[in-house]
Amino acid sequence: MLTDDITQELRRRGAVDTIRAGIAQAPALGKGLGLTFGLALLGAAGRVTIPIAIQQAIDKGFVDGGVRLDFITRLCGVAALVVLLAALCQRTAVYRLGTSAEEGLYGLRVRLFDHIHRLSLADQNEERRGALVARVTSDIETLTMFFAWGGLAWMLDLSLMFVVACVMMAYDWVLAVVAFAVVAPLIIVLRLVQSRLVRAYDRVREGNAAMLSSISETVAGVETLQAYDAVEPALQRVEAATEKRARSSIRAGFIGALLFPSGEVFSVFTVVAVVGIGVWRGDAAGLTAGSLVGFMFLTYRFLEPIAEFTEVIDQTQTAVAGLRRVLGILDTPIGPPPATNPVPLPVGRLGVALHDVTFAYAPRDDEPATNVLTSLTLTIPPGQHIALVGESGAGKTTVARLVARLADPTKGRITIGAVNVKHVANDDLRRRLTVVPQEPFLFADTIAYNLRFAKPTATDAELATAVRSLELDDWVASLADGLETKVGQRGASLAAGERQMVALLRASLVNPDVLILDEATSSVDALTEVRLARALRKLSAGRTTISIAHRLSTAARADRVVLLADGRILEDGSHDILMANGGEYRRMYDAWLTATRA
Amino acid sequence: MISETLPTATAENRFIRAKNLMAAMVGFHRGLFLIAVSGAAVFAVATVLSSYGVKLLIDEVILPSFAEGTVGFSMWASVSGLVVTIGLVRAVGVVVRRTYAGKANSSTAKSIADKALRHIMRQPPMWHRSRMTGDVAARAGVDTDAAAAILGPMPFASSVIVLLAVSGVWLIVTDLWLGLFAFLVFPLMLATNILYQRKVDYHYQVAQDELGALSEAAHESFDGVLVVKAFGAEERETERLAVISRRLRKARTKAITLRSTFESVIDAAPSLVNIAIIAFGAVRVRDGGMTVGELSAFVFLFTLVSLPLRIVSYLFSELPHSASGWARVQQVLQEPLLSAPRDAINRTTSTTVLPSGAAAVHMVELRDVRAEHVPGVAALDHVNLRVERGRTVAIVGATGCGKTTLLHVIAGLVPVSRGDLSVGTSRVGLVFQEAFLFAESLRYNLTLGAPVSEAVIADALRIASADGFVSELGVSLDTELGERGVSLSGGQRQRLALARALAVGSELLLLDDTTSALDPGTEAEVLNNLRTLGASVTTLVVASRPSTIALADSVIFMADGAIAAAGPHDELLRSNADYRTLIQAFEHDRQTTTPTGAR
Repeated sequence: MLTDDITQELRRRGAVDTIRAGIAQAPALGKGLGLTFGLALLGAAGRVTIPIAIQQAIDKGFVDGGVRLDFITRLCGVAALVVLLAALCQRTAVYRLGTSAEEGLYGLRVRLFDHIHRLSLADQNEERRGALVARVTSDIETLTMFFAWGGLAWMLDLSLMFVVACVMMAYDWVLAVVAFAVVAPLIIVLRLVQSRLVRAYDRVREGNAAMLSSISETVAGVETLQAYDAVEPALQRVEAATEKRARSSIRAGFIGALLFPSGEVFSVFTVVAVVGIGVWRGDAAGLTAGSLVGFMFLTYRFLEPIAEFTEVIDQTQTAVAGLRRVLGILDTPIGPPPATNPVPLPVGRLGVALHDVTFAYAPRDDEPATNVLTSLTLTIPPGQHIALVGESGAGKTTVARLVARLADPTKGRITIGAVNVKHVANDDLRRRLTVVPQEPFLFADTIAYNLRFAKPTATDAELATAVRSLELDDWVASLADGLETKVGQRGASLAAGERQMVALLRASLVNPDVLILDEATSSVDALTEVRLARALRKLSAGRTTISIAHRLSTAARADRVVLLADGRILEDGSHDILMANGGEYRRMYDAWLTATRA
Repeated sequence: MISETLPTATAENRFIRAKNLMAAMVGFHRGLFLIAVSGAAVFAVATVLSSYGVKLLIDEVILPSFAEGTVGFSMWASVSGLVVTIGLVRAVGVVVRRTYAGKANSSTAKSIADKALRHIMRQPPMWHRSRMTGDVAARAGVDTDAAAAILGPMPFASSVIVLLAVSGVWLIVTDLWLGLFAFLVFPLMLATNILYQRKVDYHYQVAQDELGALSEAAHESFDGVLVVKAFGAEERETERLAVISRRLRKARTKAITLRSTFESVIDAAPSLVNIAIIAFGAVRVRDGGMTVGELSAFVFLFTLVSLPLRIVSYLFSELPHSASGWARVQQVLQEPLLSAPRDAINRTTSTTVLPSGAAAVHMVELRDVRAEHVPGVAALDHVNLRVERGRTVAIVGATGCGKTTLLHVIAGLVPVSRGDLSVGTSRVGLVFQEAFLFAESLRYNLTLGAPVSEAVIADALRIASADGFVSELGVSLDTELGERGVSLSGGQRQRLALARALAVGSELLLLDDTTSALDPGTEAEVLNNLRTLGASVTTLVVASRPSTIALADSVIFMADGAIAAAGPHDELLRSNADYRTLIQAFEHDRQTTTPTGAR
């Protein structure tokens, strides 16, 4: 079908473009590729040596019923030398392809790491995180596998077919044309079946993913399933998934099995045709017995790679798809660009101001861009503690992110110490401003390691001072290994409240002038609550502080409350004034008070 | 954690492990495997015959025609027919071998996966709690695949024996010396293959470990993106990952160096042997010991035989991976099934006559119950409790006092290590602290596969106050939830989990802080809806909001794994100082926010 052809054409062009773009991103992949292929061609010469040697032996060695041993000896000596030299060339070609692939893929990985770390937070949300890890591991891995097997096969096999075809033409072009003509239908068969094979493999992958997620979900949900006596139906669902996977892989295996010997089958027909026509044309056409035998051997060789091709086609497509996804990440624009001519932040306490700020996330897929913040102006004098309140989605987190320059406003500007944050060097900004996120993230190491993440040069004494200044000594003393206590994966060995304490300590090491606190929502026990409140008070004392308050008690303690609704400031003033005004804040506060009262 | 210590691999027990693995894998679908092996045997015999065809083409067709100038068409036709037939038979052998090896592989993987998962899912929660979910799931998934993967190369590898035997006999019959020469070379090539594979597998293993480390580190680094950015540590983190990537590259490069040398040697070796055959054969042809056709056929045969030799080395390379996969599967299969605590629960009810003269039916009754998560350490002890049918009871206590354990004991997830437990129904709906939703349709999530009418489902959604957001989100019963489907907030998930408990007709609801993720208004609504169910549903609810606690008929106050006091909320507030303190801590927020004036 015509439309089918067009799609095919587009897809193919897409593949070539993808590979070109890939080489542009990882130049080591393309470097010296020409020489590598040249060596592979020379290496292939080793594999036509035997047919040529047999032809020579038959035509010149076994003459008139006798055998010229001296000639045979010389012939074998030369042949052995050619084989050895060719092997050396092939070794170099394989080595070069492999090492440049590793070099290129290493470069690609590091580029990806760098790029992903610089992506704006909007492109880094939780749903996409698993996908990002997949890009740097399994997708790059499909490329590694490709270079280790498929890519190598393409290089060696194409070189072999090319060299064999050349030698065949040199022996007898008529026979060569006959051979190619008999092989032609194979190309059609391959093309027909290959697309089925690729689809079949796609289904195997889908079935495999469905099976694995079904298994892990069932295991993860074991308590629920047992509590509801629903294990049996769940097992039946998994068994349906394992059955589907087995069926799809058996089917793909069958198509592959049919395709695999196609090269051999065609070579049998080609050989008998070549021999038939060869003896029919005979001496008259300048053919010799030896060259016909040699030709026969070459024909077998010519079709040898077909079996391997049928196996690497799927892998090649997988690799191109993997590369496409990797490039997709590299094409995603990074977050706030670094300042070109950085302006240093002034010494001393810093105020924060938002001037007519509008923010909208970039439109994604079919979702249109909607404003998260609209023309927001807010001035926070140095040392003031403000609380941002409002329903979820009101824009509190966005304000915090923009001030921390984790994203740039769509319109308007943000100043810290009267300097536009866009003009502040990242290092400078991070030394003066710190964020304590809602769910503090800890690395799987010790508490000390996590504290030093904020300041790699911090001495033990500095850490101890920080602990003391936030009055967390008793907590640290209660830990088995003090600051050397391991926190486990993502801090799982610590309680939620303890993770927050580490986060506060970590922020205090930076000794920032501006502090942004995203209040935790998880409930903690009363003692921890008291400790945290005390540490927070200590930490924020004297610093310009922006708290995203989920608990209105936090708002009540702040110097000033800013109530956001739909990306605009609805009310702004101290807790007492807003309460006296009897507006929306008053309503929220009263509702909250009722709910928490017995 | 399941022990990772597999037996150390000495040469002898490596052999035994390989033998056991292969025997076990073949045993699952013996018939399929035997068909695959037969296909491989046909292929092997046809391979040797095909080189005999080459001899016939040379000796009977090509040489005579050039020597005499003419050749009979019938001779060409009959030899060609033979060659084509052999070629087709060989191809059929390949198709049968590959198809059935694939069938045996896939079917075995399925059989093991089903068996392992069935066993795993019959283990009670305490078995699961002492293990990592991901690790357990891997044993039913990727490990079973690894174990069965050995069935892929096995039929082909076994045909190598046939191939070597048949071609060896032919070689020796035709020419004793050439035959002996070949027999010397075959094992040598086989040994080279296996030796290489073992060396290169070491580097691949190192690379695999580094890849695992990289994936873990990348996951962590991307998860912590906010912290990384907040402290301007982007470059430090990229460098940390680059260091691991460099180790990965190093291991891979070592493997490539080894491999490039081996590939060239293994490609050149048959050619060199063939050159030797030509040289050696020429002498034999001169002596009349063999024909030119036979000589060429041997050259041809040698090329064909070198490929299957490589398959044997793939088999050897696959062995350790498959064997360790199988060992990991066996570890879970061989663990005895622990008894399910559910089965030990007494399903009868006792009745007491109240002072008013009415009879009270006790839905739940615990007498001096002790429960342990870690042997010897009581999570609950000396718990005595009676809950009347149709009542709503709040369980209140500080973090870690045993509230959740109490619910899990009643639900039959945690065993009772001493005392008696009676629960008057087997229709117990436990709603976990963290709602577990499956990435399946809404219907499956509400019914877990049980036959439940739409009307009952609608009712359950209404009582759980989930009907509103379900219709707002435009979710139908067949909409998929989770990853690929609709994503829900914590409160919405909780309400669906509650709706599930109602939809399956639970008579006893155990709510573990279920409503805490809801806003206070919705929480009150849900609890009031539950009260409308009257005597048909008994509810135990772990609660921490004073407003919630006040809604319960009575309160159980727990401390340190025991019931410290029980009674109506107001009464406990009056009579129990600890209870008062705890409730005050819950109200902490409210108290600290009482406007203090001068701000």
